[in-house]
Amino acid sequence: MSTTKPPFLGFGLGLRPQHYREILDGTPKVDWFEVISENYMIRGGQPLSMLDQICERYPVVMHGVSLSIASTAPLDMEYLQRLKTLAERVNPKWISDHLCWTGVHGVNLHDLLPIPYTKEALDHVVQRVTQVQDFLGRRLTLENVSSYVTFGQSEMTEWEFVSEVATRADCWLLFDVNNVYVSAFNHGFDAGAFLRGVPRDRVVQFHVAGHSHEESHIIDTHDHPVCPEVWELYRAAVAHFGPVSTMIERDDNIPPLAELVDELSHARGIAAEVLGAERMEPAA
Amino acid sequence: MSGLKALQESFQRGVLAGDDTILGEIKGSAKESRDVLFGVYRNAYVLRLIEVLTDDYEQLHAYLGDAGFAKLARAYIDAHPSDRRSARDFGRHMPRFLRHADTHAKHPELAEIAELEKALGDAFDGPDAEPLSLEHLAAIAPQDWPRLVFEPHPTAIRLTFTTNAADLWSALHGEARPPKPRHLEEREAVIVWRQEFMARFRPLPPEEAMIWDETAKGVAFGALCEMVATFAGTYGAELRAASYLKGWVDMGMLTNCRIG
Repeated sequence: MSTTKPPFLGFGLGLRPQHYREILDGTPKVDWFEVISENYMIRGGQPLSMLDQICERYPVVMHGVSLSIASTAPLDMEYLQRLKTLAERVNPKWISDHLCWTGVHGVNLHDLLPIPYTKEALDHVVQRVTQVQDFLGRRLTLENVSSYVTFGQSEMTEWEFVSEVATRADCWLLFDVNNVYVSAFNHGFDAGAFLRGVPRDRVVQFHVAGHSHEESHIIDTHDHPVCPEVWELYRAAVAHFGPVSTMIERDDNIPPLAELVDELSHARGIAAEVLGAERMEPAA
Repeated sequence: MSGLKALQESFQRGVLAGDDTILGEIKGSAKESRDVLFGVYRNAYVLRLIEVLTDDYEQLHAYLGDAGFAKLARAYIDAHPSDRRSARDFGRHMPRFLRHADTHAKHPELAEIAELEKALGDAFDGPDAEPLSLEHLAAIAPQDWPRLVFEPHPTAIRLTFTTNAADLWSALHGEARPPKPRHLEEREAVIVWRQEFMARFRPLPPEEAMIWDETAKGVAFGALCEMVATFAGTYGAELRAASYLKGWVDMGMLTNCRIG
């Protein structure tokens, strides 16, 4: 299993069907794309053809939403096999999913559900990540999720839990800046403490996204432009972690590609201010 | 494992069945109560799946309107908790659900519109296969033709409708006022398939439907010509069979042929 840290890819976007033609017909200023793994676990047709063409031109990473790594249900080996088969087609720079669970007893709630931060859950997740990494023959990248509830039985902070998983299971981390902001607001913790609490050498990707503010809580909807507060946290994340492959995540209310490319330029600008232009060159 | 397992089971019951036991495990925040915060997960589950069904059954949604479709979607979500990793598969039971649900079974056009939309969705991302070309056919020696067996494109799906669901779908898709739903005197055969990247469908006249179905079973061209002759008279039977075949090739409905 490769233990080399994945390269800095620069500034990327999530691949969305609305933008297929524009991406392939033009040369948008996007360094790489992230694809939702489940959307391409299909047999054929336009999505796979577009994916193949994008993979020929851009570095691609795979991002899943239903690995359910923290579920107490058995690992879904059929899903893992399909993930592995897709990875053979895509040859992604890395494969990510979320540090969460999505259902038990054969049900999928199609949501990124929160984990109690207990030693029991930690042991369980570490063991599952190890199993999945062994099966895939590569390290996984795990993302912190937005959450709306915390559990009375938690024994540690989220960042302690995330860090322990990364260290003990020897996996990479996708640091979702928006999710840290959302959860910090919802649970009243210091986003900076989360940021400083995560091991620097494990973080290979940033997500930046928009959300919906509901006064008493924030919902991670990915349907708005990134707000100034999240950009500020992104600035702090770049200063702390250095050059990390950055992606704007937009899943709903999807604007024209040019709008997302502009938003990505904003991320690029912040990173350039913090790091200086010479540290901004993506790996070849 | 018992703590985590029990908590996840309770959380899931809370989302699916409105069971509030899980609230005992949840802490409220300084700004909001725990039932409102847990409600985010409850709402998200239903809203996300309604959205999935709305995307997959776009014309059914247009036909029923927002309120009617939302009611249907909620009933479906209750009856069929999602059991697949991909949300793409969630709505797969919709035609059957509509056929049997007390509230909708009296309107068979609903199940048939859903059946058509499901087939179009399945064809859209169904398996790839190179379509059979006229050049390929032209290279086949005349004496081999009677034994020629054709293979339908793997995305091809044959449907049979008892209502004018296909017309309803077309009107809705074109954003025109749909005709009144009606029961057909004779059932309508419909074929769905993907041509290049486009999922398509078209009604098949009775003779063409018969010969397509036999073709799909692997009946050789010579026997197909005899069937056409039996079905509608010997005059021009071979020509008619050949003309169907050419139409299918032009539309990418076949993928291969071999001498059987």
